[in-house]
Amino acid sequence: MTLPSVADSVEPAGATVGSGPPEEATRRGAGADVFRAVAHNRKALVGLGLLLFFGVLAVFPGQIAPDDPRAKIYPRGLGPSVHHLFGTTAYGEDVFSQLVFGTRQSVLIALAVGGLATVIAVIVGVSAGYLGGKTDGVLSLITDVILVIPIFPLIIVIAAYERNSGFFTLVIVLGALGWSYGARQLRSQTLSLRRRDFLEAAVVRGERKRYVIVHEILPTMTSLILASFLGAALYAVLFAAGLQFIGLGDPNSQSWGTMLYWAENNEALGAGMAYWAIMPGVCVALLGAAFALLNYAFDEISSPALRLRKLERAGVDAERATAVLAVSPDPKNILEVRGLSVAYASEHGPVVAVDDVSFDLRRGEFLGIVGESACGKSTLVYAIARLLGAPLAGEITDGQVLFKGRDMVTLSDKQLRHIRWRDYSVVMQSAMNALNPVLTVAAQMRDACEAHSTMNKRQIEERSREVLRLVSIDPVHLHSYPHQLSGGMRQRAMIAMALLFTPELIIMDEPTSALDVVGQRSLMVQIKELQEQLGFAVVFVTHDMSLVRHFSDRLLVMYAAQVAELGRTAQLFRKPLHPYTDGLLEAFPSIHGPKEHLLGIPGSPPDLLRPPAGCRFAPRCPHVFARCTAERPRLLEVDGELVRCFLHDQPVVPVVEAKEGVA
Amino acid sequence: MSEPLLRTEGLTQHFRVGKLFSRQRLHAVDDVSFEIGRGEIVALVGESGSGKSTIARLLARVYKATAGDIYFEGKRVSTLRTRRQRLGYAGDVAMVFQDPYSSINPAYRITHPIERGIVLHRRDVARRRRENEVEKTLGTVGLVPAGRVAGKFPHELSGGQRQRVGFAAALAGKPKLIVADEPVSMLDVSIRIGVLNLMSELREREGLSFLYITHDVASARYVADRVLVLYAGHLVEEGPAEDVLQRPKHPYTQLLLSAVPDPRAALGISDAADVGEPPKVIDPKEGCRFRDRCPFAIAECETVTPQLREIGPRRRVACHVAEPDV
Amino acid sequence: MRFVVRRLGFFLVTLWAAVTLNFLIPRLMPGNAAIAMMSRYKGHVNPQAMHALEIAFGVHNHQSLVSSYFTYLGNIARGHFGVSLTFFPDTVAHQVLQALPWTLALVGITTILAFLLGTLIGLVSGWRRGGALDGVLPPLFVITSAFPYFWLALLAIWLFSLKLGWFPESGGYEVTTTVGWNWTFVSDAFTHSILPALTIIVTAIGGWILTMRNNMITVLTEDYVRMARAKGLKPWRIMWTYAGRNAILPNLVGFAMSLGFVVGGAILVEFVFNYPGVGWMFLQSVENQDYALMQALFLMITVTVLLAILAADVATAILDPRTRERG
Repeated sequence: MTLPSVADSVEPAGATVGSGPPEEATRRGAGADVFRAVAHNRKALVGLGLLLFFGVLAVFPGQIAPDDPRAKIYPRGLGPSVHHLFGTTAYGEDVFSQLVFGTRQSVLIALAVGGLATVIAVIVGVSAGYLGGKTDGVLSLITDVILVIPIFPLIIVIAAYERNSGFFTLVIVLGALGWSYGARQLRSQTLSLRRRDFLEAAVVRGERKRYVIVHEILPTMTSLILASFLGAALYAVLFAAGLQFIGLGDPNSQSWGTMLYWAENNEALGAGMAYWAIMPGVCVALLGAAFALLNYAFDEISSPALRLRKLERAGVDAERATAVLAVSPDPKNILEVRGLSVAYASEHGPVVAVDDVSFDLRRGEFLGIVGESACGKSTLVYAIARLLGAPLAGEITDGQVLFKGRDMVTLSDKQLRHIRWRDYSVVMQSAMNALNPVLTVAAQMRDACEAHSTMNKRQIEERSREVLRLVSIDPVHLHSYPHQLSGGMRQRAMIAMALLFTPELIIMDEPTSALDVVGQRSLMVQIKELQEQLGFAVVFVTHDMSLVRHFSDRLLVMYAAQVAELGRTAQLFRKPLHPYTDGLLEAFPSIHGPKEHLLGIPGSPPDLLRPPAGCRFAPRCPHVFARCTAERPRLLEVDGELVRCFLHDQPVVPVVEAKEGVA
Repeated sequence: MSEPLLRTEGLTQHFRVGKLFSRQRLHAVDDVSFEIGRGEIVALVGESGSGKSTIARLLARVYKATAGDIYFEGKRVSTLRTRRQRLGYAGDVAMVFQDPYSSINPAYRITHPIERGIVLHRRDVARRRRENEVEKTLGTVGLVPAGRVAGKFPHELSGGQRQRVGFAAALAGKPKLIVADEPVSMLDVSIRIGVLNLMSELREREGLSFLYITHDVASARYVADRVLVLYAGHLVEEGPAEDVLQRPKHPYTQLLLSAVPDPRAALGISDAADVGEPPKVIDPKEGCRFRDRCPFAIAECETVTPQLREIGPRRRVACHVAEPDV
Repeated sequence: MRFVVRRLGFFLVTLWAAVTLNFLIPRLMPGNAAIAMMSRYKGHVNPQAMHALEIAFGVHNHQSLVSSYFTYLGNIARGHFGVSLTFFPDTVAHQVLQALPWTLALVGITTILAFLLGTLIGLVSGWRRGGALDGVLPPLFVITSAFPYFWLALLAIWLFSLKLGWFPESGGYEVTTTVGWNWTFVSDAFTHSILPALTIIVTAIGGWILTMRNNMITVLTEDYVRMARAKGLKPWRIMWTYAGRNAILPNLVGFAMSLGFVVGGAILVEFVFNYPGVGWMFLQSVENQDYALMQALFLMITVTVLLAILAADVATAILDPRTRERG
């Protein structure tokens, strides 16, 4: 049976523009990391253990087996006993000794065929993928043909003409036919690698094709090559045994398959020599299982999505939410977030992605949430929408989210489903990824309608047309599939879908970043118009402050999982209170103002795994002083705004003391 | 007027598209001519699909032009035959890529591309001096302490740091021109300025020229001397940065500028009634490619493709309606 | 539609390759087995059987390789595969058609069953990530997917047939029953097929469970699944229409590629159980050096596999609108 491989399955969407590093870059090139990963993976350990076991048997059969496997000196057809662990054969040989001596052939075949098939697969697959064009056409055709033609019958046909194939022939035949699956995998991996810039960079700097293939491509495919080797080894063990079993191998060789052949010929099963008939198969199965386990383990190691981690709540170090339960919600607010904290489990321990965030949102208000990569803004809004879970890891560890008076954090899935989409909806960053590729736009609108209302088919279609018109899309596109629409249209279609029930709150996660500047502007204007027309509140997440400047009522600036500043947009732009906000504003070169030299903000955001002791912005702050690194600043109210900075937390110095200090 | 460092003439790139036997051609770049002088930073501004990335790859010789020529220091680039000549060009014209997460090979330490650049293009550097040169280059791009950074793998660095490594790799061959394809679009906003400043510094200190490709007009203004505006494969406007961005002549440039959010600008949402998108240019007819979205289009725009014409000192526009300054 | 046409073209190429291999292999083998075999049989075998061999090898004395190739192709196209040595004087074609229904019933049904069951279990297992099902199944099936088919067959016989006596140990039916569409025969055939069927299913299902599970897990990280949750759809619908339909697509591709393995294994299973299907006959012909029959059976197996793959491709085209455009 073929081995499962993630490489053959769905490719998750890559990192979207401007959003920062993809979650946990796969670790390559760091041998220590791989070693550690293997040591923690049970399957890999079992697999390696089995391989080691058989390896020892293969190298030192004489020392382990009690008898000469060929010696026909014992009574025939004995059952298992102290002298003969698995009994004797119909010819008087010790079964156990035969098993031990038979190991070598199987192990050698596995390694030899694995090696040969992998070498061919690499050459064919990588060349086809990299060189492209006609070479690819021809190589792919050959690969696919060999892949599709049933290999086992073909090998039988070959072996039928060449009876009693020795070890060498077996290796050549199996190797020459078993590379096609690996070649296919390697080819598709190479093709996706071609889009990676580092390959183009190598070509641009003048590297030869051969160098690029051997030194740039192959080293990044080690896990796939390894998987290919393991798969080929497994296939070799099984096929070799099968061939020998039906009598097409060398009947005089010492191998498990041949044992099975002789056992079958002597009707061992029925004649009480069951162990003779079954044990060699057990060995084949175990050796095969070793390869299969290792292969599966490497799949898991190289694909982060497959690893499951549990969050240790005890290790979560977030600000304790201050007294929240007593205060009852203000009816003018559609949303009140109080002391929300979110944490997730990483390889090195719990990480707090959202730390004690609080804010209110009035009905019909437009709140922009601004921050850079890893500041927690996306995690925050998805936590509010109760949509955490793969790939956005995380659990809400503390706090409340009061939506129309009810705490969303405590609602069950069933209760949440009731209010989803009707009362609040979500617009995601990339429509290409957020829309189901196998359903039409109409179908995707329909299932939302069916889930929450009793509209009949005609009404649903009417409503779907209506929302499309709201965003200036010709309703004829209702029956298109997502990939048939242009980028801008897809984005607007998502907004249309969010408007199906005219919810009171729409959460938007960077909905315009996949569009060009002109498209962004027009979409923002459209959103604002719709908001004024229909009266819903908006929480708009973005990394681009200037984008929301003219559209948002208030802005929430996030830094390193915390709220840095929260206030009315105009005021924030005019007089930013937090040095980070100030720095951000300085980082946008202007089109129309005077041309001035900007500095940006030196350094990078802190590692949330081990955030700094005091203020998280201190390492990069131009106004830092002693207190900043010693204490954690609290969120304070200043001039009707919230800010987390000691610059605004200075105790007032009495005039008398100051004068004395001067003297 | 001395020979510019790089000059393109009628640069054209078509791609075959469509089903197996289709003869459809995507006109990614059509008849683009421009110059880059020594020590000059030229910004190529355009949206996705405008052809700017194609031009970058044409200059880097990843693609072979369908038509037109590139002249580097006066010599025709398409006629470079020997490996020596091609390698020489690769050393003179380097490239920095957009995505810091895929532009460095994750299997090696970050010194790898820099070292390769030295090996390929600076034969004079002896093997034992290479490590030194690598660290020097890391220092030039602001990655200090170079000794410590040199031992790291790409995944251990931040996006901004990786992009600096990209610059270091480009500098390794001591180039004269660096083609930077959207080098800051995938970086955090607060980091972008640092990298843009690096480009200016390199121009000041090393006399490098840059072709800065971007869709962000504001950053073009910040760092570039001259600006080229690209739309649907055509060069539609060209001139000194301040001039083009404060007094745009082409309707597309005007649209672009009106759409750019400027935090410091006064409030005022212009009516962005434009819901159009740049066309996919497959087997296009004659005529201006912006005509469907242009508020000033006249009959001639439908049938005659506008050519770049001078309307001022070093100022060109491809439009039938644009007026020169009085 | 264009997609299906392109695939058909590919299959014709593959079929041609299989036929050509059939033609070339005996000739390429050291010692030119064809001639050796022919001369060995001369005198021992009657002219009709000789003729069968001639067709199998495409040997007509004094013909060039190329023209004998075309004669061979012509014969194949007309269904002239010659006379079987094993079942003399019956024609190869007739014998093949006798064995076919047995195999289609056993292997066809079990493979589809294994695929559907495996996909289903994998779907649920991936959906309930970390659940009880998910903890036990993957490692278990990784191991079972490495078992040789024939060994499992032997185990099954030993356990269920010899030790427990629940099922017959060999054959397609008891020799005493009359063949035909009568109840005794059908139920008898059914009982005889249970063990072989179980063997095939147990071995084949593992791989599909695992790939489907992994696909589900990857698909569940996609934005459109999160979007479905955001829309408040019932979990059932999310699992099926959003996750399942997308996760199954690469599995269908995998089905096509692993079919070759399954068929190979099925051959061994038939052999161990003496089940009168194509696989068993195939191995018999190898044993008896009945090359005419062997080659025809090889072609039959290849054609069946190709048809199954074509069916999987059509299913993919139906389920994935993007394939239809790619053409």
